[in-house]
Amino acid sequence: MAEPKAKYDRQLRIWGEHGQAALEKATICLLNCGPTGSETLKNLVLGGVGSITVIDGSKVEPGDLGNNFMVDESCVGQSKAKCVCTFLQELNDAVKAKFIEEYPEALIGSNPSFFSQFTIVVATQLVEDSMIKLDKICREANVLLIFARSYGLTGFVRISVKEHAVIESKPDHFLDDLRLNNPWPELKRFAETIDLNVTDPVAHKHTPYVVILVKIVEEWTKAHSGALPSTWDEKKEFKELLKAGMVAMDEDNYKEAIEASFKVFASRGINSDLLRDNA
Amino acid sequence: MASLQHSQAIKGAKVLMVGAGGIGCELLKTLALSDFQDIHIIDMDTIEVSNLNRQFLFRQSHVGQSKAKVARDAVLRFRPHISITPYHANVKDSNFNVDFFKQFNVILNGLDNLDARRHVNRLCLAAEVPLVESGTTGFLGQVTVHVKGKTECYECQPKPAPKTYPVCTITSTPSKFVHCVVWAKDLLFAKLFGDKNQDNDLNVRSNDAARSSKNVDDVFEWGENEDIEQYGRRIYDHVFGYNIEQALSNEETWKNRNKPRPIYCRDVLPDIMTQRNGNNVDKTDDLSSASAMASLGLKNPQDIWCLMENTKVFIEALKLFFTNRRKEIGNLSFDKDDLLAVEFVTAAANIRAASFNIPLQSLFEAKGIAGNIVHAVATTNAIVAGLIVIEAIKVLKKDTESYRMTYCLEHPSKKMLLMPVEPFEPNKSCCVCSETPLSLEINTHRSKLRDFVEKIVKAKLGMNSPLIMHATALLYEVGDDLEEDEIANYNANLEKVLSELPSPVTGGTMLTVEDLQQEFTCNIHIKHREEFDEEKEPDGMVLSGWTQALPEKKDAKTSNGNGASTSKSLPTKPGNTEIDIEVKEISDGTVSPGTKRKLSEFSAGSPVDHSSDVDETRNNKKIQKHDDEDELVMLDHWDSDMSKKQRLP
Repeated sequence: MAEPKAKYDRQLRIWGEHGQAALEKATICLLNCGPTGSETLKNLVLGGVGSITVIDGSKVEPGDLGNNFMVDESCVGQSKAKCVCTFLQELNDAVKAKFIEEYPEALIGSNPSFFSQFTIVVATQLVEDSMIKLDKICREANVLLIFARSYGLTGFVRISVKEHAVIESKPDHFLDDLRLNNPWPELKRFAETIDLNVTDPVAHKHTPYVVILVKIVEEWTKAHSGALPSTWDEKKEFKELLKAGMVAMDEDNYKEAIEASFKVFASRGINSDLLRDNA
Repeated sequence: MASLQHSQAIKGAKVLMVGAGGIGCELLKTLALSDFQDIHIIDMDTIEVSNLNRQFLFRQSHVGQSKAKVARDAVLRFRPHISITPYHANVKDSNFNVDFFKQFNVILNGLDNLDARRHVNRLCLAAEVPLVESGTTGFLGQVTVHVKGKTECYECQPKPAPKTYPVCTITSTPSKFVHCVVWAKDLLFAKLFGDKNQDNDLNVRSNDAARSSKNVDDVFEWGENEDIEQYGRRIYDHVFGYNIEQALSNEETWKNRNKPRPIYCRDVLPDIMTQRNGNNVDKTDDLSSASAMASLGLKNPQDIWCLMENTKVFIEALKLFFTNRRKEIGNLSFDKDDLLAVEFVTAAANIRAASFNIPLQSLFEAKGIAGNIVHAVATTNAIVAGLIVIEAIKVLKKDTESYRMTYCLEHPSKKMLLMPVEPFEPNKSCCVCSETPLSLEINTHRSKLRDFVEKIVKAKLGMNSPLIMHATALLYEVGDDLEEDEIANYNANLEKVLSELPSPVTGGTMLTVEDLQQEFTCNIHIKHREEFDEEKEPDGMVLSGWTQALPEKKDAKTSNGNGASTSKSLPTKPGNTEIDIEVKEISDGTVSPGTKRKLSEFSAGSPVDHSSDVDETRNNKKIQKHDDEDELVMLDHWDSDMSKKQRLP
């Protein structure tokens, strides 16, 4: 039994096995482990990220005790990176936690190729000059870079990445597309076998909403020289047309058709932006 | 941020946290780091392994210990000089009464169930202490502020109750996997391993002539020296074979539905398992690790088993229960952390699904459904905790104009991940904070007082220790100090139909229901009604009068809503209704923003009459803008949710 996964049960239900595998393969580099950076890593470590490398050249000072709960009195005087790393390691011993006691600015200047080994670099508390340098380095190495700073109750998070491919997008809802405004032959034939204006009320309210849409869209395009409803008024008119087909208030199929009517508004063919894009 | 007033408000504050779980851990940490000095925290749970991916104050070594206590110890480590008082107890306990709540400046909820939230809401109203509510589900979350007299209380907008299914769907006509799970868990598992005396909708009679030698009334009874596997196969054949055949004989049911197919064990698993595998279940096996999957070599809980594998698990799990856990049988209730129970329910649900042509699911999926498991991750809780503290500080500084309800979305809407909304005024028809009377349609000659208590008073009204009065007659009450004869009297009353109670309850009369601990009173006008629709009104009674504000605006909003969802035609969006239903099923209190009257004076005219119009106009404007620009715009989750909300019954 996959017992190690019991800990991750609740998050597996969000991103599934592949998501968890991706997380566990990832290597993160954190620059400066102040409160912002530390909290960021906490969430990643809890989730089971592959490895973290903390880069911070400072020592723990009394002031740090006030805003970073990963360091305590016994840490004062020690490397902050080391203390934060120790705390984070406790949160999840499956994560490989390393630290380097060095100032990030220095590392950026002296060893840019250091960053190419990581999946993501999280850079906190850096000045603009360093951010620009780091951005160039990460772009070249195709490493995902996230900048973050916080000041009191405000802050920013900025992602910088050249290109990021998403394969399993996990849409919230199953995307079905029956090409209702351009039905394939069999669907067309099927729709033709059904008479929307059938007199038997039971049959009338059992006409599948897909068929209703296919037929009404056909009617519309004929009356509008092939064009689909495009403005807000036209779409409203289209829905009124659907409503007009109802003979009783409890016809769920017509209600479904109205709710799903947006499916026929989408223009046919490939989006012109995509066609233009040669990349 | 460091103004004197601000820090004084915090330093002098006494706050109560209810819940030390996902939100609780993050909240306690944030409160401590924000300089709060006196924090009390109630949580009745102990730490489990599945908590460790987000409840970061806990470690593996803490599993089994009290959440409230361990959380306190962890935080004291970095804030040794503040006061944190833990209570390993249920917030519904009678010692957490109005006086207890009165000692705090603000109450912060980090709960995971509707019942407790309603209870705390009522106590906060009674104690007149502000409440900051919150909830998270996966990437979604929200924080809301409730101040008596100024804003809505938590119950002003009726919260969706946990999803229930009509009995016939479960027993005869399942169409979704969840129906099969409910059948496997609440019917089959309960019948085989739970209290035998409980009423059960499972068909238990068999006409099988072969069994007539014992004249057994209940086919589920395990015969004296019956071989376990034989027993298992017999049960299998009865529920998946015989019962289905019986159901098929009723032609009416299947006129417009796909017919199920009966499944018999011998067709799926011809050989007896023990003979084939050669391993008899060893009684000396470690009881706690008895697992059908393990003995069958099925390693991955995410795999979807085929019919034969499910059948093997069914038989094997049953065997293991009877061989290793005989003592528990008759007393067992389903527990999602009981692996063997989960295995059995998964297998049973899958076999039923196969019979009804419903796609099978993995153990992982089935466990989530059967155990009502909510997906959860650390980040959302961290965000929500931060928002709670921000609102709490506003409350302490009595910064009324700044109170916000904040909704944390999964995807940014108009580039914003957090949606702040001003709180709404109290709902004048809220039966909790506005004491509006309700109406109940019920068959006073058929429904018993017990039904009224279970379905209305406890389930719908959320009362724990109710008192029911009819004029001056006390029909029922719950208490520790009741006399024997009083208890007997009340028990007798429970079994009587309403019209035959000592003080007859008929149409046109009024019942007063009270919960003294919650200081919540409700008057209910009774209306007699003969018939109820079995599918749409399965309870046989309908409670009404507890409405959302501005029902007359409904139509206008609905058409707006339609406009919104259709013009921004991303295929995902009609699924919005599904989002609502999913959330409802989870009942964690996640609520989508609603369009209602606003607290602020920025709206044109008086808040009562015109602010909703302002909302509509704003909505309208948003819609128009999008239409002219671009059809395929990222759907405005926020807008559709609002309009969808108006449509919810």
